[in-house]
Amino acid sequence: MNRIAQGMVTLLLGAAALGSTVFSDLYLNYVKDLFQPFLILTGLMLVVLGVWIVVSDLRANFGADGGDTQDSHTGEDSGHDHSRAPWVAWLLVLPVISVFVIAPPALGAYSAAETTTSSPSDAESDEGGEFDELDDSSGPVQLEMQDFVSRAWTDEERQMSGLEIELTGFAAPNPDGEGWFLARLQMACCAADAVVNRVLITDEPEPEKDSWWTVRGTWDEPEGDIAEVREHRFTVTEMVEVENPPDPYE
Amino acid sequence: MSGQPAGSPSSARPSLGDSLVSDFDDRDDDLPPPEWGRPRGQRRTATVWVFAVFIALMAFAHSWYTDDLTNEAFLAWATIFTAICLQAMPFLVFGVALSAALTAFVPESAYQRFIPKRAGTAVPVAGAAGGVLPGCECASVPMAGGLIRRGVAPAAALTFLLSAPAINPVVLVATGVAFSGQLEMVAARFLASFGAAVVTGWVWARFGKTDWLRMKQQHHDPAAPGWVVFRDSMLHDLMHAGGYLVVGAAAAGTLNVVVPREWVVTVADLPVISALVMAALAILLSICSEADAFVAASLSDFSPTAMLAFMVVGPMLDLKLIAIQAGTFGWRFVCRFAPLILATTLVFTFLIGGLLL
Repeated sequence: MNRIAQGMVTLLLGAAALGSTVFSDLYLNYVKDLFQPFLILTGLMLVVLGVWIVVSDLRANFGADGGDTQDSHTGEDSGHDHSRAPWVAWLLVLPVISVFVIAPPALGAYSAAETTTSSPSDAESDEGGEFDELDDSSGPVQLEMQDFVSRAWTDEERQMSGLEIELTGFAAPNPDGEGWFLARLQMACCAADAVVNRVLITDEPEPEKDSWWTVRGTWDEPEGDIAEVREHRFTVTEMVEVENPPDPYE
Repeated sequence: MSGQPAGSPSSARPSLGDSLVSDFDDRDDDLPPPEWGRPRGQRRTATVWVFAVFIALMAFAHSWYTDDLTNEAFLAWATIFTAICLQAMPFLVFGVALSAALTAFVPESAYQRFIPKRAGTAVPVAGAAGGVLPGCECASVPMAGGLIRRGVAPAAALTFLLSAPAINPVVLVATGVAFSGQLEMVAARFLASFGAAVVTGWVWARFGKTDWLRMKQQHHDPAAPGWVVFRDSMLHDLMHAGGYLVVGAAAAGTLNVVVPREWVVTVADLPVISALVMAALAILLSICSEADAFVAASLSDFSPTAMLAFMVVGPMLDLKLIAIQAGTFGWRFVCRFAPLILATTLVFTFLIGGLLL
């Protein structure tokens, strides 16, 4: 891989980082929103580095008497060494292709089904009893899916009991039988660590897979020990289809 | 533009690894004298054309094929692959830039002043220094490479490489949040990771050989201005570590899609095996050290020791990291260093897990 190719690959990589953050919201499909400034900075650094390499290489070799003598020296006279990169560096075009051509969507129903019955997905709240007070006097309580699931699993005081609750997520089929899931993926850093939170809905017909819905209704309070529950059930009173929320993850 | 088969004739190179990965075009440099071939300018023009065609093809494919890609498993793989690449890229680029700055602007005498001469004392100092710099594992590999190039004892630089992603403040706070303030988990993670890093460093200081490390000598023109050294060093590290990052991301994405987590949960009740499975999972999934605590906490069927194994092994050893290390230090190094890390991290996991959790 010669030097100008290295510069070009660096430039393209920077363009991919900038293209998915500045010119679109594509990056939200893959990483947390707090990565945006870092990705922009990275993209700028890569673009500057790439342009610098390409320009200096062209100047050193097309220029009349090689104005940039350092480059022509390290770049060509030594013949091998660090002015060339190993073939594996060509693989750096794969993320570029992935961002610009494939532009993969956020993880959805497919992944939500693949990670079925993973376990109580929020050990975060193992201690229990540390939930904020809920109040539905001024309309339904809006909860994040992860908040709902962790309360349903660990809130021994059962604060959600009887309240009208509003949840937003995408529809995912239930491979094991009745009903369907309203699911949302929770991620800490990037899509590789995504964990699914979901509730089982049986009293409404199943909507199209991966369509997004806001549902209102109540938590089906289980009889026995809440920590033993496998699936959290939800009774729907009203459901409205929503446009894809800008950030598909919680 | 493809890799040349093994045993290329252009073997006047530092090591086998280099000749294996050397570019196909290299032959043109070594075999015929330059004046026989086409003028260099033409090859450059050809490269520019190749990229112009490549960009045009991407634009074409973007407008015609993007919507036709509907295979769910492939798209899930592509999402995770892209996610790991994008998430690691800032850390890698900042690490590479920092390493290049160390090479270009900090005089060698500075290291000799701050880092103890004897490897035995330099190792714990380097391990503790790793706890100060917040960074991901992708950043620490090129930085360790930069340190070694500047004459720091390899054992100390490697200890830094191991401890920086494992015990820095961001990671410890993230662990505390993920485990909702269970301080014994944070303490166990800190102690086990620090212990494993320092012991690995000592073992390397005692038994390691420098020629296992394939450090490319970047003999720069001493008269070259600092910025040129900085630029060349950054490009060099980026090309070596970055290509392998892509390999690691592809492998981790595949395993993420192929291995359903419910298989993993079936062994959660077996005491020692569950910890080994979690360690294997950490190696395969290649989750960033700042996020792995959340994943460990979500696998709550497992015992605390098994979760600790996940968090101690992951930042020091995973597919992505092995690939980046291979790009920076060569395979001869990796096939010795990786088993050593696995052994020390597991020993410290069981030791600290048994004592604290």
